[in-house]
Amino acid sequence: MQALPLFFTLLRKEFVIEFRQRYAISGIFLYVFSMVFVVYTASIKVQPQVWNILFWLIVLFASINAVVKSFVQESGARQLYYYQLVDPVILVLAKIVYNTILLLVLSLLAFGAYSVVAGNPVKDMKLFAIVVLLGSLGFGIAFTFIASIAAKANNSATLMAILSFPVIIPIILTLLRLSAISLRLIQDTSYKRDIINLLAIDTILIALTFILFPFIWRD
Amino acid sequence: MKFFQSIRFIILVLFLSIHLPIVQAQGNRDFMRETGKIYVVVGVILLIFLGIVLYLVRLDRKLTKLESQLNEEKNEQPH
Amino acid sequence: MWWKTLSVALIIYAITAGMLVPLKPGITYVSPGVVKSGQDITLRVFGYNSFYTKARADEIRIWLQFDESNAVLGQKTAILNDTTVEASFQMPSGMPEKGTFAMLNVIVDHPVDGVSLLPSAVEFRLDTTATSKAGWQDNPIEQLHIVKDLSYPYRNVIYESIRNTYYHVPMWFALMFMFLGSVIYSIRYLKSQHLDDDKKAVAFTEAGLLFGLLGLVTGMLWAHYAWGSAWSNDIKQLMTAVALLVYLAYFILRSSFDEPEKGARLSAVYNIFAFASLVPLLYIVPRMFASLHPGAEGSPAFGSQDLDNTMRMVFYPSIIGFSLLGLWLAQLRYRYAKIQDVLYDID
Repeated sequence: MQALPLFFTLLRKEFVIEFRQRYAISGIFLYVFSMVFVVYTASIKVQPQVWNILFWLIVLFASINAVVKSFVQESGARQLYYYQLVDPVILVLAKIVYNTILLLVLSLLAFGAYSVVAGNPVKDMKLFAIVVLLGSLGFGIAFTFIASIAAKANNSATLMAILSFPVIIPIILTLLRLSAISLRLIQDTSYKRDIINLLAIDTILIALTFILFPFIWRD
Repeated sequence: MKFFQSIRFIILVLFLSIHLPIVQAQGNRDFMRETGKIYVVVGVILLIFLGIVLYLVRLDRKLTKLESQLNEEKNEQPH
Repeated sequence: MWWKTLSVALIIYAITAGMLVPLKPGITYVSPGVVKSGQDITLRVFGYNSFYTKARADEIRIWLQFDESNAVLGQKTAILNDTTVEASFQMPSGMPEKGTFAMLNVIVDHPVDGVSLLPSAVEFRLDTTATSKAGWQDNPIEQLHIVKDLSYPYRNVIYESIRNTYYHVPMWFALMFMFLGSVIYSIRYLKSQHLDDDKKAVAFTEAGLLFGLLGLVTGMLWAHYAWGSAWSNDIKQLMTAVALLVYLAYFILRSSFDEPEKGARLSAVYNIFAFASLVPLLYIVPRMFASLHPGAEGSPAFGSQDLDNTMRMVFYPSIIGFSLLGLWLAQLRYRYAKIQDVLYDID
């Protein structure tokens, strides 16, 4: 099969599987809503500073839980089947695109639920939207890659957290800073440089994923 | 194991030799801040030295295990 | 092997030269710390490592400096002892620029010791808001005695602990070299599938972790006495801690596989990924936040102000010495793993 149709086939496969196993995705969404309500019950009045940090924490934990299953759910036999048919780079690209879309939907929903219960202190919506998009992309790439490593080990859920947190820290620090700017907590006119930094980190990660994924895949 | 006992002894002596002057100096001023904070440098060098020694002790223990395994195998072979 | 001897020789050189070369003379503080306009006041300057008695009193000149062209020269200089010198100042009634107070620098010029300076040593308070340059001019700071000898720069607050540059900072460089070696062998392993390369990568990572821990601990000791607290959430401290977490995770990942070949392959992949994510961690992120560490805008390099030529003569050999020592430790660890392999194969 040609690369592009193959990519779309794989992407559609991800959506179809997700749609069939609706309990997984609804579990994640329920997780997000529970977290939001925990925040709500814990502190009625949320300061913008706290709002910012809590929002990204909710998104971070939900993202890890959403992505960790993306390789574990594939059975050994199915993996062997893919391995003979598919170019690993296209496979991982489909997974990354799917996970990015999933995380984007997830963070938008989290943002919606969160702003209903805790208020919406965002002043610069355009910047905030860019930040959420870039955040989903960064999380999508990094977590997909780590999930593919963790899936090969025995205790994948724990490993996923240990392996991904240190790697994600540069992304999350930049995201926190950018979204603080969009909340007008920090005055910084040169935030474009931070966006470029974030894009640079994403580029490095995605290039590495393409180079290294074939080595993980081979068994 | 005698080797480790001697190492423990050396480390103990090292610690004592650091601590004694501190106790003596506490009477008037902070020992570490005296004479232009030179003892901060001494502390840093000692920490690096101790870190490397501890790494070597760890490696030494691993090697001792290997040696004992090697000896066991040598004893088994004649049978 | 020659490089092991070299590493020991360089470290011994770094410790002896680093500890024996004296600091340049400096000024610890000036008393009193506040002077008023129009006041006729005697200031006492307390020197560090200075030998004031090696010159006659009239050869020593002391200025209170406002800026490049405005200063007050001290009169009736008197030497009390090697580290104390006095001079009386006729403070002008106005200030060259608008304002009600200013911080003045103290500059001492000594024919034997050379020039020493304490920035913002004395606060100058104004009774009026008048701006006048009277009394500030005609005291050019010139004909200074620049003494060239073997000594390290004097810095206030850190004093002698500037020598930690030769012991604390090389830990960091050695860590970078160790992790670099580790990632190179991980790449080689992925190419060659030879378990020896994986063993080398592990050995380098262990040595790198050791240097990372030492860098963090020595840094905390130094920070306690230089910045006031051992952990001040400085961005570079945080990033080093995160880097250590990455490599601790590497060891946990290794230990969670039963087959050595699979563990070696996946941990090699993670090692490369982690090293690449260290680059933004250490070079991009620190630039976004203020840091107590030296270096312009959180850049990892030193500026020319932080390191003079005398210090370079000890600093660079120290880096090479500690890095070679790390190589030695890694080699020992690798040889151990190799012997272990042979022993288990006999079973």
